[in-house]
Amino acid sequence: MRFSDLLRVSIRQLVRHRRRYWGVMLAIALGTAGFITIITMGRDLKQNFNRDLELLGRATIVKIYFENRPTFQHQKFETATLEALRRMPGVRSASLTVNTHWSIINNKGIEYPFTLLGVDDAFWEVCGFSPQQGKVVSFENNNLRQRVAILGPGLAGTLFDRQDVVGSTLEIQRDLYTVTGVLKDVGLGDLRHFAFIPFTTAQDRIWPISQANRIYLRCLTWDDVDKVVPLIPQVIQASQYAPGLKVEVAWDQVKRVKSVAWWVELFIYSSIAATLVLGGVGIWVVMMAAVRSRTREIGLKKAMGAEDQAIMAQFLAEAVCLSFTASLAGSLMGLVIVEVTSWLIKSHPTQELFLFCVMIGLLVAVGLGVAAGLYPSLRASRMEVVSAIRYE
Amino acid sequence: MNSQYATLLDNGPLIQVNRLSKSYSNGHGVISILRGISLEINLGEMVAVMGPSGSGKSTFLFILGLLLPASSGDYYFLGQDVLNLSRADQADFRRRRVGFVFQNCDLFENSTVYENLEFPLIYAQIERQERPEHIVAALERVNLANRLHHPANLLSGGERQRVAVARALVNQPQVILADEPTGQLDRQNGIMVMDYFNRIVSGGETSMVIVTHDPQVAARCHRVFSLEDGLLHEN
Ligand SMILES: Nc1ncnc2c1ncn2[C@@H]1O[C@H](COP(=O)(O)OP(=O)(O)OP(=O)(O)O)[C@@H](O)[C@H]1O
Ligand SMILES: [Mg+2]
Repeated sequence: MRFSDLLRVSIRQLVRHRRRYWGVMLAIALGTAGFITIITMGRDLKQNFNRDLELLGRATIVKIYFENRPTFQHQKFETATLEALRRMPGVRSASLTVNTHWSIINNKGIEYPFTLLGVDDAFWEVCGFSPQQGKVVSFENNNLRQRVAILGPGLAGTLFDRQDVVGSTLEIQRDLYTVTGVLKDVGLGDLRHFAFIPFTTAQDRIWPISQANRIYLRCLTWDDVDKVVPLIPQVIQASQYAPGLKVEVAWDQVKRVKSVAWWVELFIYSSIAATLVLGGVGIWVVMMAAVRSRTREIGLKKAMGAEDQAIMAQFLAEAVCLSFTASLAGSLMGLVIVEVTSWLIKSHPTQELFLFCVMIGLLVAVGLGVAAGLYPSLRASRMEVVSAIRYE
Repeated sequence: MNSQYATLLDNGPLIQVNRLSKSYSNGHGVISILRGISLEINLGEMVAVMGPSGSGKSTFLFILGLLLPASSGDYYFLGQDVLNLSRADQADFRRRRVGFVFQNCDLFENSTVYENLEFPLIYAQIERQERPEHIVAALERVNLANRLHHPANLLSGGERQRVAVARALVNQPQVILADEPTGQLDRQNGIMVMDYFNRIVSGGETSMVIVTHDPQVAARCHRVFSLEDGLLHEN
């Protein structure tokens, strides 16, 4: 039997009996689409989840600073160092800060100490800034050297009795600062009790203010933390003299997030695997039923001189066509899902990865078709002609 | 035609069967269905086999078509011993030498007339562009060329049987084995099919073995045999 005939006859068979097959095809298509989406979007989705999983703590935020020893008092980070850190693969953003400790006496006469942090624009991306009140105003570009402040929710709560504090003023070193926003109380850690003012304002107006000796760095995903952190000292030392360097990571939280992510991934992959296994079992059942209901057809074909291999090839080809077509449809679904999701989360998964997944998906489908169709086809080919013809 | 057969064609019979026997074992024991059948059929001959139900007529046809192995005896087709062919050669024999018309006129459902006739050609590895010619020629012999792309399920009973005959003819076999080809047809359609059969064998290149219950069908054959108690008698 020629290959072109085999293909033509098999496809014809599938098309004419599509009602018998579409359930199985749907299962395989869904499995393929899921597989393609998860793999293609995996990294981008992780970055997105990452933002939300900040709930679990600041797992991807790394704090880099100089140990406060008398001899190293005047250590600071150079701009070139900051740039070098930002360029590291797996780093989302890094922010250079200056700080000082300050305290404010509120209207009831109670004194509150807090940390005052002068931050650049990148800081908001690093700490995952989303305002509880007020709006995201870029400190540096819009407020160069201006007296504006954003408060941590803890600090806002202790300083003011009211809820709505945007527009209130704050006196720091006899200057009045306008509060433009309050951070959302999510995964901030000790930043809850900080006040943030523009980097330039802090350097101009606050005295004493520290050197720019603290960098907050944020990794793309929790998986990157492991890879990025050991390289940080090297990168810094390549660009400047840095004795007493400290890198602080919330390892506990990284571990916790990773284990959650691992379970989630396991769940997703096992559901895809389950769908595919289901598809395989579906092919098996459908093909067994087809062999049984087409017993007479098989007998007839053998009486016409079809060899055993031809019968076997035909049923096998039908099973493979079935799973291949389903997988092709799944790839299309996957393409749509990937396009929509990447539009939603504004990311750009690589085309190579997508095509690679499609290839793998199609290969798996062919394998599935062969594996699940093998036994039914073998049974069909082994059938005795006369009993097949006499079969009612 | 294969040269191996060609020399024998002029002097020997197409089919030569000697002391052919067949028994089935059915769990409780062995039952003898055919007990030493001998028969010769020449090219261009139309032979009828009659006999009561269960006498083994279908069994005999299946053995002639190499669908069933015989228990003992000899079977020469154009002088070649075909009982001991390998499985692949048996399939090849069926592809090129024999055309079957079965008792319950099986067509491939959900297929057109054309597709039904195409399968024997597919298995015989005939080029795709050459197939329509063979198919139309076969259909013309049963006067159904105008139903070329008709769905098989929508044919009348008589038409179905004629398509089954055309399908048996499409590979230009030397013998057509027909198991009650008119059994499910009314008188008029039965006569029509027999007319086609007469025309087919009149070319002298095809023989035919027809199993039938109908004496009128048997009357139109060159020779009539009856199978009883496992033995074949010429009437
Ligand atoms: N595989 C088998 N195992 C056991 N017995 C069988 C088998 N096949 C057929 N038989 C028996 O062999 C006998 C002959 O069967 P066959 O079909 O050849 O009869 P037939 O002459 O064609 O009958 P009918 O005219 O009803 O078609 C029957 O009694 C049948 O039950
Ligand atoms: Mg019979």
